This record gives sequence, C-alpha cells and structure tokens, in this order.
Amino acid sequence: MTGEYTVREQMAAVLARDLQDGELLQVGVAMPVAELAVRLAHLMHGPNMELIFFGGRMNVHHLEYYPIPEYGWDNRVVRWTESYSDRGHRFDQLKDWGRRVFFIGGIQVDQFGNTNLIGIGEDFNKLRFRGPGSVGTPTLSSHVGRYHIVLNDHNSRVLVEQCDFVSTVGWGRGGADARSRLGLPGGGPKWCVTPLCVMDFCEQSKRMRLRSLHRGITVDEVQDNTGFELLIPDAVPSTDPPSVAELDVLRTRVDPDGLLRGT
Amino acid sequence: MSERREHLLDEQQAAAWVEHGMTIALGEPAPMAMVRQIIRRKVRDLTVISSGLALDHLIAAGCVRKTISYYAGGGVGVPVAPSFRRAAERGEIVVWECEEGILTSGLEAAGKGLPFLPWRGGVGTSLPEVNPDLKVFTDPIAGETLIAVPAIKPDIAFVHAAVSDAYGNVQHHGGPGWIDLFLVRAAARTVVQVEQVVSNEAIRGNPWATTIAAADAVVRVPWGAHPFFSRGHYIQDVPFINDYVASAAAAAKHGGDPQLKNYLQHYCHEPVTHADYLERVGLTRLLGLREY
Repeated sequence: MTGEYTVREQMAAVLARDLQDGELLQVGVAMPVAELAVRLAHLMHGPNMELIFFGGRMNVHHLEYYPIPEYGWDNRVVRWTESYSDRGHRFDQLKDWGRRVFFIGGIQVDQFGNTNLIGIGEDFNKLRFRGPGSVGTPTLSSHVGRYHIVLNDHNSRVLVEQCDFVSTVGWGRGGADARSRLGLPGGGPKWCVTPLCVMDFCEQSKRMRLRSLHRGITVDEVQDNTGFELLIPDAVPSTDPPSVAELDVLRTRVDPDGLLRGT
Repeated sequence: MSERREHLLDEQQAAAWVEHGMTIALGEPAPMAMVRQIIRRKVRDLTVISSGLALDHLIAAGCVRKTISYYAGGGVGVPVAPSFRRAAERGEIVVWECEEGILTSGLEAAGKGLPFLPWRGGVGTSLPEVNPDLKVFTDPIAGETLIAVPAIKPDIAFVHAAVSDAYGNVQHHGGPGWIDLFLVRAAARTVVQVEQVVSNEAIRGNPWATTIAAADAVVRVPWGAHPFFSRGHYIQDVPFINDYVASAAAAAKHGGDPQLKNYLQHYCHEPVTHADYLERVGLTRLLGLREY
C-alpha cells in the first residue's frame, strides 16, 4: 500500500505498466487518463517511446515537465514534437502500426469490446443521442498492434450487451478468429480499464472478463454496473496500486496540475 | 490580355462564390473569416465537409443540409458539438457517416479522377449500414474485404494559410492542416484565406515552401482563423470558444437560446467585413493571443 491515491491515478498507473519501451503511443482527443498514462510510462521506463498527440510525434523523456494542451488542437503541442503528420500523409505509412498502441473511449462498449461513437437509438435517422462520429478510430483500431478501451464511467448505460451502432470492431460477435475473419490486421482490444476495474477478453470466446478490482471495489459492484454478464474467474486479484515512485512522477512531472487528482 | 491575372478577392467577393446547395469543404484550422461571411450570406442547404466547432457554426446559422464529418466534437469537455447534435437528433441535417481514412479516401478518389478508392478502416463496423454510399466489396487482387469509398468532390475548398502572393501561390507556416491538401486536390475550386499577402518575389525566393500552387482565390484576412489558432501567428482563444459552446449548448437544450442568436448576430451577420469583426473582438483580446 502506498497511502492515498485517486482512482484515476490507479487507472493511469495500470495502463502505463502495459506500455513497452520502443512503442508508439497514440492518444486521441479528450482522454486525460490515457494521455497521462502514456506520459507516465515514457518517464518511468520508456526513453525510446514516441508519443503521438494530434498528429505531432514527440520524445520528451528528457523534459522535467511539459504541459497538457488546453484544447484539442492546441498548436503549442507542436513545440515539443520532432515531426508532424499534417502534410496529408496521416494514413500512408502503416508499416510501423504494429508497434502502435492506441486508446479509445466510447459512448457504448459491448461484451466483445466493440465500441460506438456514432449514437444511441434504434434508428440511425432518429437517434436519441447523436455521438461525435468515429474520428480515425475505425482505421486505427483495424491496424494497431493493440489498443485499450478507457472509460471515465463504469455503468450499464456505457457497458452494454450489444452496441446500437459499432464504430470500431473489437472482437465482433466473439471467437478468437473474429478479427481475422474480417481481415483486420491489428491485434484488437487488450483491456478495458474503468474506475472500478480492469477487464480483458477470454482467449477463446473473446467475451469480456474481469481481470482485477481497484481498491475497495467488489465483484458484485462491477457486475451490477455492467449491462451484460461478465466472465468472472474464481479468484479476482486486486489491481496493483500505484507505487511510491509512480505517484511521485505522476504528481511532480506528469500531472502537477492535478487533472487525475480531482473528482 | 497582357497582364497576369491576380487572384485576390475580398472576403465578400469570395463568399459570393458559395451558392445554395453547394458542397463546400473547410480546412484545419478552420477558415473562420470565410465561415462568418458564408453565414452572413444566408446560404442554405449546403453540404459541408468539416469537423468540430466550425461545422457547428454553420449548422447553428441554418446553412447546412448535410454533413460529411469524421468528428463533430469540440475537444476536452465538449464531447459532441451542440448544434450538430441537436440538428442531427431532430433530423434537420443528413449525416454522411464516415471517419478520417474513409473521408481522405473519397477525397483522394476525386483528386485522382477515380470513381472510388478502397479502404479497410470501417470493415465490420456499422458505417456501411448507416451510410449506404459505402460499398463493402471483395477486392479482385487479394480477395480481401474492403470498403469502396465513392469520390467526394467539393465545389469549393476553403483553407487558412500564412501567406500567398497575388497569384495564389500559398505558403504555410509549418505546413498545412492535416486534411487541407486532400481538400484542395479534390475540390473544383480553392479559396485560401491568408494572414498576409506577400510579393511574388518572396514566394520565388523559396518555391520549395509553396504548399498550394495557383489557388483560385486569395483572401487577405489577418487573424482570420480566430477564435482558432494560426500557426506562427496566434493561439486559439479558449474563453471565446467556450462562450460559443455555452451559447450553442444552451440553444440546443432550450431550442433557440437568445445568447446564440446574439452571438451569430454580433459576430457573423452584423460585421460587414472581417476588419469589422476584429474590431468587435477587440485589440486587447487579439494581442493577448500572440504569445505562448
């Protein structure tokens, strides 16, 4: 135990530990937990990681601190970058995408890790909730080596049995060959990390499975807030809490403004 | 005809190219001076290829019939652009569902004079179901399942850049926005709004830096991307953007909030010229955006 930490710090730490030195880490708009997880990994154990934000590619391992952009397309991000994919070549060099790790949210996520940014409702022309659209997630999720689903909320409105619309294919309708049958070269979703727990996918069925529980959370609490039947192993470990060293780097170098410490 | 023709137009002349029912495309950062002039012209039934809050302005002003957008959110704290969301949920606009790779494939098809180009991103998703223009097919070379994206051909692409000469030779500071050259290659005509018009000699001094050659029209509008950024010139005006979002969100919730009407009236309809707009924004505010 390392004393006090917030659940968002826990989420960032658990994601950071999955990221390997040398990988390319791409984070989309409005995903602060993933963004800070990537920075934490970079500073803790990833001097050869490259971070991709808004088309800019950077290695900032040497910096004591660099700020989080205030706004999606804050051009101040560019001053830390070494290159920029803004010259009409964003999707023209997929050969290194096997080393890329991507992070995705969603207004719905289903039991096979399919996600929805399109909208909620039965009829596409009469949506009850219109989402923002898919950004580049269908292309990224098709090709990257692996990706993580990161949710700000864990409830049965977000985690549903079947998405009303699918904007990225995780494991389709299930089965280990769900992606290869579609010809999708990328490795698919690895984990779904929420404020309650970490989930992964059963190797055979590719159904979502409880992997670890954050501090103070019970299995029942997770299942009650999930809109489908989770696979639950006989023994579910606790999520490894953030270490003293991780919290120190998080609070002094990655997140001195406390984005992860607020409620 | 013995003189080389200049491509300079003022913002009203360039906006007059836009007619009801056209397909227009907006680059990134959004060419907001032109967006405001298009709103001012009260054109209707546009198909708009754009993203984010620039698109939201045009929808809020009632100019849009159909959107071709990979992302209609507003960044941190604005998951969905408010006017887009309301108009889509009420069926007031048609959404041509796509994503970045599908959109650029369609634009590249137009640029290359092809009926379609294939793309993989979107295979297995709902995109081909909700957008029947996207055709899933088996490719004749390797037998893979792919999506045929039809050519997307804007009538006019509007983009923002740092400088141009009078003949439409455009140079960006640090490169164009990621989608801009796709739009330019696909569109029948290109209008570039710039921070500054420079001499032809200045362009010829470094032709390697020219990003768009012979744009059809050049519009000189310093601070023309406000409230968004212009690389090397100014950063985005976050409080101004937040005020827009708050007004648009209130209007979407209550169905026509006076705040949004006032915003559109004050910043889009009333200023006759871009300079009039800048006067309303105010020098203090603008100068505060010049530094990092």
